[in-house]
Amino acid sequence: MATSCWNCGAGVSARFCPACRALQPPPSDYFAIFDLPRRLVIDGKELEKRFYALSRQLHPDLFSRRGAREREYSLEATAVLNDAWRTLRNPVSRAMYVLKLEGFDIAEQGSKEVPPELLEEVFELNMALEEMKAGDDTVAPQLVEARQRFEDMRDEVDHSLGDEFAAWDTARNRDTLTAIRGLLNRRKYITNLIAQANEALANVSDRV
Amino acid sequence: MAYSDKVLDHYNNPRNVGSLDKNSPSVGTGMVGAPECGDVMKLQIKVNDQSGVIEDAKFKTFGCGSAIASSSLATEWLKGKTVDEALAIKNTDIVNELSLPPVKIHCSVLAEDAIKAAISDYRTKQTKRVPAAQTVA
Repeated sequence: MATSCWNCGAGVSARFCPACRALQPPPSDYFAIFDLPRRLVIDGKELEKRFYALSRQLHPDLFSRRGAREREYSLEATAVLNDAWRTLRNPVSRAMYVLKLEGFDIAEQGSKEVPPELLEEVFELNMALEEMKAGDDTVAPQLVEARQRFEDMRDEVDHSLGDEFAAWDTARNRDTLTAIRGLLNRRKYITNLIAQANEALANVSDRV
Repeated sequence: MAYSDKVLDHYNNPRNVGSLDKNSPSVGTGMVGAPECGDVMKLQIKVNDQSGVIEDAKFKTFGCGSAIASSSLATEWLKGKTVDEALAIKNTDIVNELSLPPVKIHCSVLAEDAIKAAISDYRTKQTKRVPAAQTVA
Protein backbone atom coordinates (compact mmCIF):
# COMPACT_ATOMS: atom_id res chain seq x y z
CA MET A 1 0.00 0.00 0.00
CA ALA A 2 3.07 2.30 -0.12
CA THR A 3 2.01 5.18 -2.37
CA SER A 4 1.83 8.92 -2.00
CA CYS A 5 -0.96 10.82 -0.31
CA TRP A 6 -3.62 12.11 -2.72
CA ASN A 7 -3.84 15.28 -0.62
CA CYS A 8 -0.30 16.35 0.29
CA GLY A 9 1.89 13.96 -1.68
CA ALA A 10 3.72 12.52 1.33
CA GLY A 11 4.62 8.84 1.31
CA VAL A 12 1.80 6.75 2.77
CA SER A 13 1.63 3.12 3.77
CA ALA A 14 -1.26 3.45 6.19
CA ARG A 15 -4.94 4.25 6.31
CA PHE A 16 -4.27 7.92 7.07
CA CYS A 17 -1.52 10.12 5.69
CA PRO A 18 1.13 10.54 8.40
CA ALA A 19 1.76 14.12 7.26
CA CYS A 20 -1.67 15.67 6.69
CA ARG A 21 -3.90 13.01 8.37
CA ALA A 22 -6.09 12.70 5.25
CA LEU A 23 -7.98 9.42 4.84
CA GLN A 24 -6.51 7.38 1.99
CA PRO A 25 -8.49 5.30 -0.55
CA PRO A 26 -9.30 1.88 0.94
CA PRO A 27 -7.68 -1.31 -0.37
CA SER A 28 -10.06 -3.68 -2.11
CA ASP A 29 -8.37 -6.76 -0.61
CA TYR A 30 -10.33 -8.03 2.38
CA PHE A 31 -7.23 -9.05 4.29
CA ALA A 32 -5.51 -5.73 3.58
CA ILE A 33 -8.37 -3.65 4.96
CA PHE A 34 -7.97 -5.54 8.23
CA ASP A 35 -4.16 -5.17 8.05
CA LEU A 36 -3.98 -8.94 8.13
CA PRO A 37 -1.73 -11.22 6.08
CA ARG A 38 -3.48 -13.56 3.63
CA ARG A 39 -3.92 -16.53 5.91
CA LEU A 40 -6.64 -19.15 6.15
CA VAL A 41 -6.40 -19.61 9.88
CA ILE A 42 -7.79 -16.52 11.56
CA ASP A 43 -8.36 -15.69 15.20
CA GLY A 44 -12.06 -14.85 15.23
CA LYS A 45 -11.82 -12.73 18.38
CA GLU A 46 -9.01 -10.66 16.93
CA LEU A 47 -10.91 -10.19 13.67
CA GLU A 48 -13.97 -9.03 15.56
CA LYS A 49 -11.92 -6.60 17.63
CA ARG A 50 -10.40 -5.11 14.50
CA PHE A 51 -13.77 -4.93 12.80
CA TYR A 52 -15.31 -2.85 15.57
CA ALA A 53 -12.22 -0.64 15.91
CA LEU A 54 -12.07 0.01 12.17
CA SER A 55 -15.82 0.56 11.93
CA ARG A 56 -15.46 3.35 14.46
CA GLN A 57 -12.35 4.76 12.83
CA LEU A 58 -13.81 4.82 9.32
CA HIS A 59 -17.41 5.68 10.12
CA PRO A 60 -18.84 8.18 7.56
CA ASP A 61 -20.23 10.35 10.40
CA LEU A 62 -16.67 11.19 11.40
CA PHE A 63 -16.01 12.58 7.94
CA SER A 64 -19.15 14.65 7.49
CA ARG A 65 -17.21 17.89 7.81
CA ARG A 66 -14.26 16.76 5.70
CA GLY A 67 -13.83 17.22 1.95
CA ALA A 68 -15.85 15.33 -0.64
CA ARG A 69 -12.98 13.01 -1.37
CA GLU A 70 -12.52 11.86 2.19
CA ARG A 71 -16.29 11.47 2.64
CA GLU A 72 -16.28 9.25 -0.43
CA TYR A 73 -13.33 7.19 0.85
CA SER A 74 -14.95 6.65 4.22
CA LEU A 75 -18.10 5.34 2.54
CA GLU A 76 -16.05 3.08 0.29
CA ALA A 77 -13.91 1.86 3.17
CA THR A 78 -16.95 1.09 5.28
CA ALA A 79 -18.51 -0.90 2.45
CA VAL A 80 -15.31 -2.90 1.87
CA LEU A 81 -14.93 -3.42 5.61
CA ASN A 82 -18.46 -4.83 5.95
CA ASP A 83 -17.99 -7.17 2.99
CA ALA A 84 -14.59 -8.21 4.32
CA TRP A 85 -16.03 -8.91 7.77
CA ARG A 86 -18.86 -11.05 6.39
CA THR A 87 -16.47 -12.94 4.14
CA LEU A 88 -13.56 -13.52 6.51
CA ARG A 89 -15.42 -14.32 9.72
CA ASN A 90 -16.85 -17.50 8.18
CA PRO A 91 -14.23 -20.18 7.39
CA VAL A 92 -16.07 -21.42 4.30
CA SER A 93 -16.52 -18.02 2.64
CA ARG A 94 -13.00 -17.09 3.73
CA ALA A 95 -11.57 -20.16 2.02
CA MET A 96 -13.62 -19.46 -1.11
CA TYR A 97 -12.30 -15.92 -1.14
CA VAL A 98 -8.69 -17.06 -0.85
CA LEU A 99 -9.25 -19.63 -3.60
CA LYS A 100 -10.53 -16.85 -5.82
CA LEU A 101 -7.58 -14.60 -5.01
CA GLU A 102 -5.26 -17.49 -5.80
CA GLY A 103 -6.88 -18.07 -9.17
CA PHE A 104 -9.26 -20.93 -8.36
CA ASP A 105 -12.73 -19.79 -9.26
CA ILE A 106 -15.09 -22.04 -7.40
CA ALA A 107 -18.25 -20.75 -9.10
CA GLU A 108 -17.02 -21.44 -12.61
CA GLN A 109 -15.73 -24.94 -12.31
CA GLY A 110 -17.26 -27.64 -14.44
CA SER A 111 -18.76 -30.84 -13.18
CA LYS A 112 -15.68 -32.72 -14.31
CA GLU A 113 -13.85 -31.54 -11.26
CA VAL A 114 -16.13 -33.39 -8.88
CA PRO A 115 -14.85 -36.88 -8.12
CA PRO A 116 -17.30 -39.52 -9.43
CA GLU A 117 -17.26 -41.41 -6.10
CA LEU A 118 -18.51 -38.31 -4.36
CA LEU A 119 -21.35 -37.91 -6.86
CA GLU A 120 -22.30 -41.57 -6.45
CA GLU A 121 -22.31 -41.21 -2.69
CA VAL A 122 -24.36 -38.01 -2.72
CA PHE A 123 -26.78 -39.55 -5.19
CA GLU A 124 -27.31 -42.60 -2.99
CA LEU A 125 -27.76 -40.43 0.11
CA ASN A 126 -30.30 -38.32 -1.75
CA MET A 127 -32.18 -41.44 -2.85
CA ALA A 128 -32.33 -42.73 0.71
CA LEU A 129 -33.48 -39.36 1.98
CA GLU A 130 -36.16 -39.15 -0.68
CA GLU A 131 -37.45 -42.58 0.27
CA MET A 132 -37.63 -41.54 3.89
CA LYS A 133 -39.44 -38.34 2.96
CA ALA A 134 -42.03 -40.30 1.02
CA GLY A 135 -42.65 -42.60 3.98
CA ASP A 136 -45.18 -42.04 6.73
CA ASP A 137 -44.49 -40.19 9.96
CA THR A 138 -42.80 -43.19 11.50
CA VAL A 139 -39.69 -42.31 9.49
CA ALA A 140 -38.95 -39.34 11.78
CA PRO A 141 -36.39 -41.25 13.87
CA GLN A 142 -34.70 -42.42 10.68
CA LEU A 143 -34.56 -38.85 9.43
CA VAL A 144 -33.10 -37.65 12.70
CA GLU A 145 -30.49 -40.38 12.45
CA ALA A 146 -29.72 -39.47 8.84
CA ARG A 147 -29.36 -35.83 9.76
CA GLN A 148 -26.99 -36.78 12.56
CA ARG A 149 -24.92 -38.79 10.09
CA PHE A 150 -24.76 -35.85 7.67
CA GLU A 151 -23.80 -33.51 10.51
CA ASP A 152 -21.03 -35.87 11.53
CA MET A 153 -19.83 -35.90 7.93
CA ARG A 154 -19.84 -32.12 7.89
CA ASP A 155 -17.87 -31.98 11.13
CA GLU A 156 -15.32 -34.34 9.63
CA VAL A 157 -14.99 -32.10 6.59
CA ASP A 158 -14.59 -29.06 8.84
CA HIS A 159 -11.90 -30.83 10.78
CA SER A 160 -10.02 -31.66 7.58
CA LEU A 161 -10.48 -28.09 6.37
CA GLY A 162 -8.84 -26.86 9.56
CA ASP A 163 -5.83 -29.09 8.91
CA GLU A 164 -5.56 -27.97 5.30
CA PHE A 165 -5.90 -24.30 6.28
CA ALA A 166 -2.95 -24.63 8.64
CA ALA A 167 -0.99 -26.52 5.98
CA TRP A 168 -1.54 -23.78 3.40
CA ASP A 169 -0.59 -21.01 5.80
CA THR A 170 2.77 -22.67 6.44
CA ALA A 171 3.72 -24.05 3.03
CA ARG A 172 1.59 -22.16 0.44
CA ASN A 173 1.31 -25.26 -1.66
CA ARG A 174 -1.19 -25.15 -4.54
CA ASP A 175 -2.07 -28.80 -4.02
CA THR A 176 -3.41 -27.81 -0.63
CA LEU A 177 -5.76 -25.36 -2.29
CA THR A 178 -6.97 -28.08 -4.65
CA ALA A 179 -7.66 -30.28 -1.63
CA ILE A 180 -9.50 -27.41 0.05
CA ARG A 181 -11.67 -26.89 -3.01
CA GLY A 182 -12.53 -30.60 -3.00
CA LEU A 183 -13.50 -30.40 0.66
CA LEU A 184 -15.63 -27.31 0.05
CA ASN A 185 -17.48 -29.12 -2.75
CA ARG A 186 -18.12 -32.05 -0.47
CA ARG A 187 -19.24 -29.72 2.29
CA LYS A 188 -21.72 -28.00 -0.02
CA TYR A 189 -23.35 -31.31 -0.91
CA ILE A 190 -23.51 -32.35 2.72
CA THR A 191 -25.05 -29.08 3.91
CA ASN A 192 -27.67 -29.47 1.17
CA LEU A 193 -28.52 -32.89 2.53
CA ILE A 194 -28.79 -31.51 6.06
CA ALA A 195 -31.14 -28.78 4.85
CA GLN A 196 -33.29 -31.38 3.11
CA ALA A 197 -33.38 -33.59 6.19
CA ASN A 198 -34.46 -30.57 8.24
CA GLU A 199 -37.14 -29.71 5.72
CA ALA A 200 -38.44 -33.27 5.75
CA LEU A 201 -38.48 -33.30 9.54
CA ALA A 202 -40.39 -30.01 9.61
CA ASN A 203 -43.02 -31.57 7.33
CA VAL A 204 -43.25 -34.65 9.50
CA SER A 205 -43.81 -32.61 12.64
CA ASP A 206 -46.43 -30.52 10.82
CA ARG A 207 -48.43 -33.62 10.14
CA VAL A 208 -48.23 -35.03 13.63
CA MET B 1 -37.57 -15.06 -10.26
CA ALA B 2 -40.45 -16.88 -11.89
CA TYR B 3 -40.05 -20.17 -13.69
CA SER B 4 -41.35 -20.40 -17.24
CA ASP B 5 -44.45 -22.53 -17.92
CA LYS B 6 -42.33 -25.14 -19.63
CA VAL B 7 -40.00 -25.44 -16.65
CA LEU B 8 -43.01 -25.77 -14.35
CA ASP B 9 -44.54 -28.40 -16.59
CA HIS B 10 -41.36 -30.52 -16.56
CA TYR B 11 -40.93 -29.91 -12.85
CA ASN B 12 -44.47 -30.96 -11.98
CA ASN B 13 -44.65 -33.79 -14.51
CA PRO B 14 -41.07 -34.87 -15.05
CA ARG B 15 -40.71 -37.23 -18.03
CA ASN B 16 -38.72 -40.43 -17.85
CA VAL B 17 -37.78 -40.41 -14.20
CA GLY B 18 -36.15 -43.64 -13.18
CA SER B 19 -33.15 -45.76 -13.90
CA LEU B 20 -31.87 -48.34 -16.35
CA ASP B 21 -29.57 -51.26 -15.64
CA LYS B 22 -26.21 -49.59 -15.45
CA ASN B 23 -24.40 -52.89 -15.89
CA SER B 24 -25.98 -53.56 -19.27
CA PRO B 25 -23.55 -53.03 -22.17
CA SER B 26 -26.31 -51.19 -24.08
CA VAL B 27 -26.79 -48.65 -21.31
CA GLY B 28 -24.70 -45.56 -20.84
CA THR B 29 -24.78 -43.72 -17.51
CA GLY B 30 -23.82 -40.13 -16.92
CA MET B 31 -23.53 -38.81 -13.39
CA VAL B 32 -22.69 -35.14 -13.05
CA GLY B 33 -22.89 -32.54 -10.36
CA ALA B 34 -22.70 -28.83 -9.74
CA PRO B 35 -20.92 -28.27 -6.45
CA GLU B 36 -21.75 -24.56 -6.34
CA CYS B 37 -25.45 -25.39 -5.93
CA GLY B 38 -25.17 -28.95 -4.64
CA ASP B 39 -27.07 -30.51 -7.55
CA VAL B 40 -26.61 -34.10 -8.68
CA MET B 41 -27.93 -35.40 -11.99
CA LYS B 42 -27.97 -38.95 -13.28
CA LEU B 43 -28.92 -39.52 -16.89
CA GLN B 44 -29.00 -42.89 -18.65
CA ILE B 45 -29.52 -43.96 -22.23
CA LYS B 46 -30.30 -47.36 -23.70
CA VAL B 47 -28.95 -47.73 -27.20
CA ASN B 48 -30.01 -50.23 -29.83
CA ASP B 49 -26.73 -51.91 -30.69
CA GLN B 50 -27.71 -52.51 -34.31
CA SER B 51 -29.14 -49.15 -35.29
CA GLY B 52 -27.28 -46.96 -32.81
CA VAL B 53 -30.60 -45.33 -31.95
CA ILE B 54 -31.38 -44.34 -28.38
CA GLU B 55 -34.41 -46.42 -27.45
CA ASP B 56 -34.87 -45.25 -23.92
CA ALA B 57 -33.62 -42.54 -21.64
CA LYS B 58 -34.11 -42.06 -17.92
CA PHE B 59 -32.97 -39.49 -15.41
CA LYS B 60 -33.00 -38.71 -11.74
CA THR B 61 -31.98 -35.25 -10.59
CA PHE B 62 -31.63 -33.83 -7.12
CA GLY B 63 -31.59 -30.11 -7.58
CA CYS B 64 -33.57 -27.03 -8.42
CA GLY B 65 -36.55 -26.88 -10.78
CA SER B 66 -34.42 -25.77 -13.71
CA ALA B 67 -32.01 -28.67 -13.27
CA ILE B 68 -34.91 -31.12 -13.12
CA ALA B 69 -36.60 -29.56 -16.16
CA SER B 70 -33.35 -29.49 -18.14
CA SER B 71 -32.70 -33.19 -17.58
CA SER B 72 -36.34 -34.12 -18.13
CA LEU B 73 -36.34 -32.29 -21.46
CA ALA B 74 -33.00 -33.88 -22.37
CA THR B 75 -34.39 -37.39 -21.96
CA GLU B 76 -37.38 -36.48 -24.16
CA TRP B 77 -35.07 -35.23 -26.88
CA LEU B 78 -32.71 -38.18 -26.63
CA LYS B 79 -35.28 -40.84 -27.40
CA GLY B 80 -35.27 -41.75 -31.08
CA LYS B 81 -32.00 -39.97 -31.82
CA THR B 82 -28.81 -41.71 -32.84
CA VAL B 83 -25.86 -41.34 -30.52
CA ASP B 84 -24.23 -38.91 -32.94
CA GLU B 85 -27.37 -36.80 -33.17
CA ALA B 86 -27.57 -36.80 -29.39
CA LEU B 87 -24.05 -35.40 -29.17
CA ALA B 88 -25.23 -32.40 -31.18
CA ILE B 89 -27.66 -31.32 -28.43
CA LYS B 90 -26.34 -28.08 -26.99
CA ASN B 91 -27.12 -26.51 -23.67
CA THR B 92 -28.29 -23.42 -25.56
CA ASP B 93 -31.04 -25.53 -27.18
CA ILE B 94 -32.27 -26.34 -23.68
CA VAL B 95 -31.98 -22.71 -22.57
CA ASN B 96 -34.10 -21.59 -25.52
CA GLU B 97 -36.72 -24.30 -25.16
CA LEU B 98 -37.19 -23.69 -21.43
CA SER B 99 -36.58 -19.92 -21.51
CA LEU B 100 -34.03 -20.27 -18.73
CA PRO B 101 -32.81 -17.00 -17.20
CA PRO B 102 -29.05 -16.31 -17.15
CA VAL B 103 -28.65 -17.46 -13.52
CA LYS B 104 -29.99 -20.88 -14.49
CA ILE B 105 -27.89 -21.47 -17.57
CA HIS B 106 -25.56 -23.70 -15.58
CA CYS B 107 -28.47 -26.13 -15.15
CA SER B 108 -28.62 -26.61 -18.91
CA VAL B 109 -24.84 -27.01 -19.00
CA LEU B 110 -25.22 -29.75 -16.42
CA ALA B 111 -27.78 -31.52 -18.63
CA GLU B 112 -25.47 -31.29 -21.66
CA ASP B 113 -22.61 -32.64 -19.54
CA ALA B 114 -24.84 -35.51 -18.41
CA ILE B 115 -25.72 -36.41 -22.03
CA LYS B 116 -22.05 -36.37 -23.01
CA ALA B 117 -21.08 -38.41 -19.94
CA ALA B 118 -23.77 -41.01 -20.69
CA ILE B 119 -22.68 -41.33 -24.31
CA SER B 120 -19.05 -41.53 -23.34
CA ASP B 121 -19.85 -44.28 -20.84
CA TYR B 122 -21.82 -46.16 -23.50
CA ARG B 123 -18.97 -45.85 -26.00
CA THR B 124 -16.40 -47.00 -23.47
CA LYS B 125 -18.50 -50.10 -22.88
CA GLN B 126 -18.81 -50.67 -26.64
CA THR B 127 -15.07 -50.45 -27.33
CA LYS B 128 -14.54 -53.03 -24.62
CA ARG B 129 -16.82 -55.33 -26.61
CA VAL B 130 -15.00 -54.70 -29.91
CA PRO B 131 -12.68 -57.72 -29.76
CA ALA B 132 -15.70 -60.03 -29.53
CA ALA B 133 -17.48 -58.20 -32.35
CA GLN B 134 -14.40 -58.39 -34.59
CA THR B 135 -14.11 -62.15 -34.28
CA VAL B 136 -17.69 -62.37 -35.54
CA ALA B 137 -16.84 -60.18 -38.56
